[in-house]
Parts: sequence; C-alpha cells; structure tokens
Amino acid sequence: MSLFKRLYRWVDLRVGIGEIADKELTGYLLPRNINAWYSLGSVLMVAFAIQVVTGMLLLVYYVPDAEKAFKSVNFIMNEVPFGWLIRLCHAVGSNTMIAALILHMLSTLVMGSYKSPRELNWLSGFLLFSLVQGISLTGYLAPWSQLSFWATTVATNSVSALPVAGPGMVEFLRGGKLVGPATLGRFFALHVAFLPLVIGVVIVVHIFLLKRTGISAPPFGRSDTKTPWQAERYRYQSHPGGIPFFPNYMLEDTTSICIYLAIFLGVVFFWPSMPFTPDAFVPADPFKTPAHIKPEWYFLANYQTLKIFPNELLGLTVQGAAMTFLALLPFADRSPERHPLKRPLFLSLVAGGILLWIALSVWGHLS
Amino acid sequence: MDSDGRRKFLGVCLAGTAAAAAVAAGYPVFRFLAPRSGATGLQKLVISASDLQEGEAKFFEYGGSSAVLVKTKGGEMIALSAICTHLGCIVQWVKEQQHFLCPCHGGQFATDGTVLGGPPPRPLAKIPVTVSGGNITIG
Ligand code: HEM
Ligand code: FES
Repeated sequence: MSLFKRLYRWVDLRVGIGEIADKELTGYLLPRNINAWYSLGSVLMVAFAIQVVTGMLLLVYYVPDAEKAFKSVNFIMNEVPFGWLIRLCHAVGSNTMIAALILHMLSTLVMGSYKSPRELNWLSGFLLFSLVQGISLTGYLAPWSQLSFWATTVATNSVSALPVAGPGMVEFLRGGKLVGPATLGRFFALHVAFLPLVIGVVIVVHIFLLKRTGISAPPFGRSDTKTPWQAERYRYQSHPGGIPFFPNYMLEDTTSICIYLAIFLGVVFFWPSMPFTPDAFVPADPFKTPAHIKPEWYFLANYQTLKIFPNELLGLTVQGAAMTFLALLPFADRSPERHPLKRPLFLSLVAGGILLWIALSVWGHLS
Repeated sequence: MDSDGRRKFLGVCLAGTAAAAAVAAGYPVFRFLAPRSGATGLQKLVISASDLQEGEAKFFEYGGSSAVLVKTKGGEMIALSAICTHLGCIVQWVKEQQHFLCPCHGGQFATDGTVLGGPPPRPLAKIPVTVSGGNITIG
C-alpha cells in the first residue's frame, strides 16, 4: 500500500471521509439532462476565491490612508514584483465575477429555477448580488484616484434625493459632508472585513438551501420527477438514476471554470486597461472635478436611469421598485411551468428587460 | 490493460498540467511577497565628525539593520553592528562604564565589540570606518 493510501486509510478509519465522499460526490446524483449553466455556481465560487486571495495579497502593500493610498497603489503597480499582476487580477476579477453573476441569475431566471420550492435560493442569491455590488462600490474608492473619488461622490450623492432622511444618510455614508479621508476609512473597513465575511456566510446559506431542497431538473427534455413538489411537507428533490456529481458533473464544472479563467486571464494580459480610465492614474483632488465621470459598466444603467428622470427621487423610486420586484419574483410568479417557451409573456419580459438594460448602459456610456 | 495504461497516461498529463498551473500561479505570489533584496537600507553613510563627542555613541541604520558608532575616550572611531550576538536584541551604550549592555539578558561588550560578560557567544560584528577631513564614512 502506498504511503498516500495508508494515510488516507488512517484518517478514514477515524473520520469516515470515504462515507462523505460516497454521499456528496459519487452518490450525489444530478438530473440526467443537467446542462452547463448549472456550473456557473462553481465558477462564481472560484471567482470569489480569486478576489479573496488577491485582495489579501494587495493588503500587504496597500495603505488605507488618504495621503498614502494612491502612492501605495502606484508602488504596487510599478515597484513590487508582479504587483501589477495581482492588482489587475483583483480589478479585472471584480468585473468578470459580476458578469458571471449576471449570467447565473439569468440562467436560473430563464429555466424557472427560482420558482417554488426554491424561493429562498433566489432570495439568498439576490442578496449576494446586492452584496457583491456593494463590495465593488466600496473597493472602487480604495486607490484614491480622481476616478475613485468622483465616482464615489456621484454614487453616494444619489442617496441625498431620498426625502427627509436622504441628506443625513449621505453624510453618514461618507462620514462627513463630502467624500474625504473619513469615507476611505469606512469604505475600506466594509470592503476588506465586513462585506467579505457577510458574502462568505450568505454563500454558505445559499449552498445549504440548495443541498436541502435538492437541485432542480432543467425544464428541457425528459422530466425525472412524476410527482412535483407540493407545499405539504418537506421533501428533498432527489434524482434517482441521475448522473453522479463526481466524476461526471465535476468535469463540467472544471470545464466552465477553465473557460472562465481563460476569459479572465485574457482580459488581464491583453486588455489591462479595461478596468481603468485616464482619471484612474491621477491622484484624487477634492477641488477639481474631472469631466465625464462614469461608473463601471454594471452601474451604467442605474446611472442613466437617474439622469433621464427629471426628478432624482423618481429615478430612485423606479429603480427601487424594479429591484424589489426582481427580488420578490418567486412570490409574484407562482405558476409551476418552468419551460421558457411555454412562458411566452415571461420570456418576452426577460428579453425586454435585458434589452432595456443594455440600451440604458450604452446610452449611459455614450452620453 | 490498454485502458489502464491510457488512464495512467491521462492522469500523468493532468497532474503535470496542474503542477505547471500551480507553479505559474505560485511564482508571482512568491516574488510578490519576497523581501526586496539589496534595495533595503543604506550601504554607505557619511557623518560629520563634529556630531560625536569623545566617549559617546551614535545609533543609526545601516544595510537595513541597526549599527552603532562610538568615539572612544582616546578618540578612536569604531563602528559595530548593534545586534546582540546572543538572541538579537539591540545593545545599549552605557556612557558611565564605557561599554555596551544588552537589556535582554545582560550581555556586555567592550567598545571594540569583544564580549565582557553574559551569554553572548561572539563579539559584535565590526563595520569599516574611515575618517577623512571632518567626515566619518561608514561602510
Ligand atoms: C457570490 C455569488 C454566488 C455564488 C458563489 C453562488 C453559488 C451557487 C452554487 C454553487 C449553486 C449550485 C449550482 C448552480 O446551479 O449553479 C447555486 C445555485 C443557485 N443560485 Fe447562486 N450563487 C451566487 C449568486 C446568486 C445570485 C445573485 C442569484 C440570483 C439572484 C443566485 C440564484 C441561484 C439559484 C436560484 C440557484 C438554484 C439553482 C437550481 O437549483 O437549479 N445565485 N448558486
Ligand atoms: S539577546 Fe543580548 S544578551 Fe540575550
């Protein structure tokens, strides 16, 4: 017996890891018609892990002080060996992760997997989406460049349109009347300590829910359950005769992760300017607003929406209503039908929504 | 047997690719974290001779580490590493007794670095000094 096998046996006799592997890997059966979209969750976990690791590395040299932050980031980019690589992975990774997150949401949307009994899966996922947007926003301020400073000014300012509490909330958010060193302090704490922890916990909840309810079968092709779930008693949705997670679906997960990494590294090496504009290379100057300050692409639609309404409060209300509707979708859309082509109204709404989002983003980019 | 051989071959290919990827990811991380050799601290230092009175010592940073310059009662200039050879504390200059005392475990060194007492096993390392005109050049 090889040393490795003996070591494995030694641990297994005490902890029973073989039993876990049997149950969670080879004995974890997935629907036979499962498709590649189901692997986006694993892609997202890898993407999140990359952010955590590169973020920890950046912390070695980054200094969260308004006087020194920009200099320390320049030092990372120009002096530290491979500092440019670590920083670019972190900056590009936030973008590719959000792209993967949007695809993951769209796939569960189109395949109707948010529907009963998976409402909580959708809700926890929606919470993750909001938290990931939050961690992107707070991280954007960290380099303390003109871009960071003014993008944060604009983003936090929109809150002031809220009636009564608005102006007070903006001041609380910024830690002062204007964006300044106090803002950097609180955004930094949120970005490196609070939000990663909360996201980690919500990911665990998200996966716990998935494991308890059982993964959905895609609405395409054969159906493997004759008796659909009914709100009478708890029942794990199993897939008898399905394909094992290991090795079959793990191969699909690995394939998708490799495709993701190829795109991600492709941007890092061949389009390194992607996360930056010229203002990202100028230190923050609170007395000089640069022209054309725009948020990142995934906030462009929100940005444009705020601009097209004559009144900021109206723009905020419309967005808040749209987000609330999306979050509570499983409670509004209660028909059990999940096949997209058998839900023409829903499918047109999704397509319309995506087109609207793209149109607003392009408009925001060009305006 | 044939399928076994193929399985093994693919396994080796996979392990090789994984190892290559691990090296490709690990090397930049190692270089990122490695201390920047050579670039740390001054290698040569010039002090004005009038800065130091006889019987006094001056501590300074040298080559990324701590060092001390003493002007003995006889007017001789001696530069030494200030790192105690026992467990690495920084020695202190005791002006009254004209020797170095390590505050950690009571090691004592003479102005030329030799051990006078206590646990230190070796004398303090010497650093070359040259005096020319009004300047003391260390290193
Ligand atoms: C950090 C972000 C996220 C991570 C790491 C993550 C991870 C995962 C994983 C591993 C799965 C199981 C495999 C799969 O179907 O992909 C999953 C399923 C699911 N996720 Fe996410 N997710 C994230 C964000 C979201 C968001 C933003 C939503 C939607 C608002 C969402 C909605 C869902 C739903 C409804 C399922 C169940 C799919 C099914 O059973 O068919 N997730 N997630
Ligand atoms: S370290 Fe100096 S005497 Fe122990």
